[in-house]
Amino acid sequence: MAARSVRARDRDSLAVSLGWFSIVLGTAEVAAPRAVCRLVGARDRGKAPVVVRAMGVRELVQGIGILARPRPTAWLWSRVAGDGLDLSLLGLVAAENAKRRTRTAIAIANVLAVTVPDVLESLHLSRKKGEPRAAQRLRKSITIAAAQDAVSSVVEADEELRLKVDGAGGRVRFAPAPGERGTEIIVEWEEAPPLGELGALAGKVSGRDLATQLADDLRRLKQRIETGEVVRSDAVTQGHSLGAQATQRPAQPLAEKEGVR
Amino acid sequence: MKATVWKGRNSVAVEEVPDPQILSDRDIIVRVTSTAICGSDLHLIDGYVPTMKKGDILGHEFMGEVVETGRAVKSLRSGDRVVVPFPIDCGACNACKAKLYSLCENSNPNARLAEKLFGHPTAGIFGYSHLTGGFAGGQSEYVRVPFGDVGPLKIENGVSDETVLFLSDILPTGYMAAEFCDIGGGDVVAVWGAGPVGQFAAASAQLLGAAQVILIDRFDYRLDLARRHLDVETLNYEAVDSVPEALKELTGGRGPDACIDAVGLEAHHHGALYAYDRAKQALRQETDRPIALREAIMSCRNGGIVSVVGVYGGLIDKFPIGAVMNRGLTIRSGQCHVHRYMRPLLQRIEDGEIDPTFVITHRLSLDDAVHGYDVFKHKREACLKVVMTP
Repeated sequence: MAARSVRARDRDSLAVSLGWFSIVLGTAEVAAPRAVCRLVGARDRGKAPVVVRAMGVRELVQGIGILARPRPTAWLWSRVAGDGLDLSLLGLVAAENAKRRTRTAIAIANVLAVTVPDVLESLHLSRKKGEPRAAQRLRKSITIAAAQDAVSSVVEADEELRLKVDGAGGRVRFAPAPGERGTEIIVEWEEAPPLGELGALAGKVSGRDLATQLADDLRRLKQRIETGEVVRSDAVTQGHSLGAQATQRPAQPLAEKEGVR
Repeated sequence: MKATVWKGRNSVAVEEVPDPQILSDRDIIVRVTSTAICGSDLHLIDGYVPTMKKGDILGHEFMGEVVETGRAVKSLRSGDRVVVPFPIDCGACNACKAKLYSLCENSNPNARLAEKLFGHPTAGIFGYSHLTGGFAGGQSEYVRVPFGDVGPLKIENGVSDETVLFLSDILPTGYMAAEFCDIGGGDVVAVWGAGPVGQFAAASAQLLGAAQVILIDRFDYRLDLARRHLDVETLNYEAVDSVPEALKELTGGRGPDACIDAVGLEAHHHGALYAYDRAKQALRQETDRPIALREAIMSCRNGGIVSVVGVYGGLIDKFPIGAVMNRGLTIRSGQCHVHRYMRPLLQRIEDGEIDPTFVITHRLSLDDAVHGYDVFKHKREACLKVVMTP
């Protein structure tokens, strides 16, 4: 089988973690500017909290930019510039508030510590050429102990599954599982959720993204083909699903009539 | 009906719950005639297995009479006597076809949870947390058995419940532990843990031709019982400074050819190491205390086999991988593929090669389950195995 790159995006995991870092720091600065002032050794009255809140808005905008854009090179460089701005502001704080210089020194060290990956990732993204790729190529597969004809006819009859895969612009294919272990169902699609990482997170949390849904659908399909039923327990009365996982009953029988088909 | 219910850490109760019903065409309902408390139930009681929920019915060792069958079940009918294996098998997936029944790919409706913790999901198990499916257990008057046409073993002649009950778990588990050891002529096998599984592992090692079996525990009453019923040597680990050293001296310096861990994640020890593991476990820095496993690895002869049937749940610390790799050890492990062993072991019981009833020390009513858990957990009244009748 040909090698396949599953991750086809320019926004790699370091960029993503720096984006989330911006979101977290920005939220803290906007929500609690006076606490942040005290933390870095600045006065928590007067102009300082206002400046901190403005810096927080800047971080939030940068974070969203990094997480949402397919190749956020400029947004990463804006983080480097932001680090410079933060460092000069902290320099002013150190000059004005001599008593709490230790705190300011720790804050400066922290900014420097994040400046290093900011610069490295900015340089890394700057070297990328060609059209930025927003989509991530994804694949879900499962092995079913049955002949390909039997498997494909069930998949073809499953309208809900087909609509889901078609809706995502994906395709289903079948391959013999090596060692006479039946048939592999392979679903492949390209995923480019709106707002990049933010959209992907929303899809995961709500269980609406195709990967999460297919994890249930394929498992239930396998159970139906191999055993003739969807397996139910006392805790998971409707069988394998993301919703059932969160809302488990205790493992004791249902009251009369509650669970009869 | 009455059932033994998990109420939280160190708390069980016998309560009135709804009767089970047929949910799928391949289900059967069994009226339980005998059920037992397993050492692994104690891991649930002690709170070491995640995903338990208040109200969960316990118990995965049970047998009884079929009282209802789903439409698709042709192999059994009402009135049949059956022993039910603790892992639930669909009989159709690749794992079941390869006789890896405790790894059935279909029987766990919480596969997603198990996959997160273990990398790949494992089979459903009766009364054994939601990680293994959230199935109501068998320490109750009635049980719904999914895939009733696959797992349950029909008992045709009139042998007593006690003689065949342990085919549901501990006898096959002990036997599989010994089978893992590839015992050849002249082999010495050491077994950690003289609980029921350790006793059956020792007995099975003898059946399979071991020249010498050494059983290790800290409770003399368990070691005495083993010496009375089996031809084994025993070692009380609290009486020696170092188990690996003691085993070396007992085996001409070689170490046992195979070492069986029938202890698992709640191992005890009398040294500083125990305090270390207990503290790490309390601080959630490791989920399991692998003291017996470490000793088994360090004791085993070069190129030998370490067989692990004691239950582990998650992550451990200070695992001597250097000893495993450099000394060419083989580790074999697994929840028992019970179904694979039920018929051959029933044959051995019928032929008089093994009488599993020797481990039973307590016969109680299901109403006294709380007392049963208490004496078994705290090793009171010289308890080794509790069998209950509803």
